[in-house]
Amino acid sequence: MLENYLPILIFIGIGLVVGGGMIAAGFLLGPHKPDSEKLTSYECGFDAFEDARMKFDVRYYLVAILFIIFDLEIAFLFPWAVVLRDIGMFGFLAMVMFLGILVIGFIYEWKKGALQWE
Amino acid sequence: MIALSDYLTVAALLFGLSMAGIFINRKNVIILLMCIELMLLAVNINFVAFSHYLGDSAGQVFVFFILTVAAAEAAIGLAILVVLFRNRRSINVDDLDTLKG
Amino acid sequence: MSFEQILFYLFSGVLVLSAGAVITVRNPVHAAMFLVLCFVTTSALWLLLEAEFLAITLVLVYVGAVMVLFLFVVMMLDINLARMREGFARYLPIGGIVAATAVGIMGLAVGRINFGLDVWPAPPARAADYSNTRELGEQLYTTYVYPFEIASVVLLVAIVAAIALTLRTRPGTRYQKIEEQVVVKKSDRLRVVQLESEGRK
Repeated sequence: MLENYLPILIFIGIGLVVGGGMIAAGFLLGPHKPDSEKLTSYECGFDAFEDARMKFDVRYYLVAILFIIFDLEIAFLFPWAVVLRDIGMFGFLAMVMFLGILVIGFIYEWKKGALQWE
Repeated sequence: MIALSDYLTVAALLFGLSMAGIFINRKNVIILLMCIELMLLAVNINFVAFSHYLGDSAGQVFVFFILTVAAAEAAIGLAILVVLFRNRRSINVDDLDTLKG
Repeated sequence: MSFEQILFYLFSGVLVLSAGAVITVRNPVHAAMFLVLCFVTTSALWLLLEAEFLAITLVLVYVGAVMVLFLFVVMMLDINLARMREGFARYLPIGGIVAATAVGIMGLAVGRINFGLDVWPAPPARAADYSNTRELGEQLYTTYVYPFEIASVVLLVAIVAAIALTLRTRPGTRYQKIEEQVVVKKSDRLRVVQLESEGRK
């Protein structure tokens, strides 16, 4: 069974070689003549006042959370779709109930306006 | 061949590292949550390894549920963290002493 | 040393090193990135254990969603990094001692004596057409149907809690009301006004 995954291993290897090779080549071939002026953030003008990091809005976070939940739901759907012929009506109803419970959450977030973008 | 003890040793090392992480990063709640994720990962490695060597897929079903619960836990934990930061402007564990009296 | 063993030692070495990096690096963004590396190498280990569905789920759910959430929170909170490092050196010895003791005890328990190859022989490799997803699914929706439904309740709780905790609508924000836009008639918005033409005086 593991032989089927050999292409992925080769892919990882090539990815590492190409990515690492480019960084190494840039490091080895590029000229290195650092001096104190060149290493400051700005060669002229003010020093930086604060971090370059900008704060995100909370709404991105809400969207990410809802994405996780429905991502997991999809992960539960995959094996179900594979074995649907074998588990019959019982398995089908189990998934209907599962989705039904999650739809309650979906209605809640819709009514709360969590999906709204102002 | 890879022995079962090899997988269990890796999981034990991972668990020990995350335990040390909880000790040394006790100010930063985000790193603490990451350490908890690492601990759950170590436990999951044990489950999958035993499931493979026993030939019983119940362990893998259990890992799937652990993944679900851990994702929900991370989502709620981070939500609490966001609310905390909004109210206190800090996520330092030392600043969270409102109940101290 | 077989090829699988080389892969195992490679991936578990990267796993342990990146776990060490998660707990020691200064920047939380870097810690999150190393945690992603941990998850990816663990997924490779699970592939070696023939748990292919879980390996892919780990990458899909954890690397794809949970770590993105962690990165969002790190970026969202403006954290004073210097204060976060307080006590790092102070708790390093005790943390190291406790962790080393725990790993030592666990290592005694899980060593080759109890779980070596002669006690737990490796199962034969599966056939090329073996489907781990099928095996999982056959159990998940029949034997474990109650935990499966409880999982959906846990997810529902996560949705409701996340929204109730973090959603805060500012008063006076304006939304687009699509349903009103769709049902609007010409007579609601348009008024034809008759004006008397002004002749030249």
